[in-house]
This record gives sequence, C-alpha cells and structure tokens, in this order.
Amino acid sequence: MKIMPCPLNGPRNIQEFTCGGEVVAPPDPDRADAAAWADYLFLHHNAAGIVREWWYHVPTSFWFIADRNTVTDEIVRTFLPRELFGADARPDHP
Amino acid sequence: MVSPRSPIQNALQAAGAVFGEHSGVTAVTDFGAPIGEAAAARRLGLADLSPLPRVGFRGPGARDWLTAQGVELPDEPNQARTQTDGAIAITRSWTEVLVLGRIQEADSLCARLAAGAADAHCARAYSLPRFDGMFWFALTGASAADCLAKLCGVDMREPAFPVGSVAQTSLARLNAVIVHVDVGEAPLFHLLGDSASADYAWTSLLDAMQEFGGRPVGLRVLHALAREFK
Repeated sequence: MKIMPCPLNGPRNIQEFTCGGEVVAPPDPDRADAAAWADYLFLHHNAAGIVREWWYHVPTSFWFIADRNTVTDEIVRTFLPRELFGADARPDHP
Repeated sequence: MVSPRSPIQNALQAAGAVFGEHSGVTAVTDFGAPIGEAAAARRLGLADLSPLPRVGFRGPGARDWLTAQGVELPDEPNQARTQTDGAIAITRSWTEVLVLGRIQEADSLCARLAAGAADAHCARAYSLPRFDGMFWFALTGASAADCLAKLCGVDMREPAFPVGSVAQTSLARLNAVIVHVDVGEAPLFHLLGDSASADYAWTSLLDAMQEFGGRPVGLRVLHALAREFK
C-alpha cells in the first residue's frame, strides 16, 4: 500500500486521494491570448523530477499541495495551499 | 409529526427489529433477544443510530460561534470531545465541526444549535444539516477494532487510535467518519457516512462481523452500556 501524508488527516492509503494536476499559475485574464489559455488549460509540463501538484483527499473534500518526484514516485512533502497563496487561500486554516 | 425513518429501515424490519421511543425519537429497541444482545454488545454489536439528531457547522466563525454556545471543542482537527450532557463535538477540519446528539437521553444541544442557525450565519458559521445526508451507526465490543481492520486502512486499535480520535477515511470503500468514544469496558466507534450508501454499509459491516460472532443490537443495550459507564 502506498501512503500519502495528508496535512489534515495524516498518513493514508493513496487510494483515498485524487491528483488534481500540476500547480500552475493562471495567465493574466486581461492580457492572455488564446494560445496562453490553451497552454494553461491543456498542456502539461510533464517534467521528470520533483513536481508540485494539487492533491485531493476524497473523504474530507480537502485540497492540498504535494511535491512529488515523478521519476521515483516519492512524495517529498505535502502542505497547505496557504503556504503558497497566503492566508486568503482557502481551504481551511485560521 | 412523522418520526424520521432510518435510511436502512427496510433492512432493520427484515432483521426483526423492535422499534420504540428512545431519546425522544423512534429507533430500534432490540432485535427480539435482549439478553443475547447485551453479550453481543461486549463482543461485537452494530446499532443503527440514524434517527438520532446531529448537526454540522462550517466556516471561519464556526469554532468561535460554537464555543459561544457553550460547546467544548477539541483544539485540533480529527478529534472528538464528549460534552457534559453526553453529546459529542467532532472537529472535521480547522473550520468544520460535527455535533452528535447524546444517546442516553433526549437531545437538547443539536436542537438548540440548529435553532440558532440564522444567528450562526451572521457569525460566519454556516449550518450543515447532517441528519438526512449521513447514516449513523455504532460499532461496539471488544472485537470492534479488529473488525474495522477488515474494512479500513487506519489502525483503530489502542494506543494508535485512543479514545477521542477521529478518522475521516475509506470504510468498505465508502467515505466515512469514524469516532472512538469511551463507554467503559467495551470500545465504541461511531460510524457516519453518506445515507445513500447506508444499506451497503450496514450489510458490509454485518458481513465483516460474522467471523467475530457479531450481530445487530438495539439502543437498549447501548443505553445499558452508557449507564454502566456513568
């Protein structure tokens, strides 16, 4: 069984989680052209190495971020979105 | 007023459940053999508590508002605190709380909190009506943690999962909330999940309980356990 350390629930079976894809900054809506939007929506970097991804714990509907090595499938670190986006970022931390 | 039905009402009736008034609601008294059930509750018993009240609150003001209503909350997520009246407050995250009404006597806390929903809304604590959406079972007895090990990846044994612990996890591949509470000698786990899957959860649990000699039990034995604990 592969274990994912969830920042809310602790270590859990990876089957309780869904990957939400890479953490990518959206383009500036006032300036981005169609190509920039297409790149943001449909193209993935698919890097070999440590990538930053959204993950979702299904039983608690809880989104968080994980650094994962796509070569070894090792989960390096998991943390709350507020660490990247500040206190305004939901979900769920005072 | 029509009494609320359990989401597994048909399964309960098919199993020979005898219904009666408990804690202000109509629920299963026993399954026709009270003496055997008392022993089963110490070994491994499964009770349906779905007709009993429960309510949730979520939002940045949820903790403060509930504390102002006199609810004692655990400090961290995934913990449960039994209130002085017997109700249980469960922190599902930093900003969400689930309150289970007491099983010993008629609920007062959930009704009071639900009646204050508009006031809570102003305090950014948004009420979550958990009664219709979630089934509520209680698994009790010395083999309860071993039985859960067949259905769930989280270690429910002492000391890994002490009294007051909460796991929101997969139970028989259903999303469920599992709460370990103290009723004296026998461990008791409250199990809550999506009411649409209640029949499946009930059947899966009874199936997993077979090898331990487990059986469904009514509220009478749970009341007896709670009284002994007092």
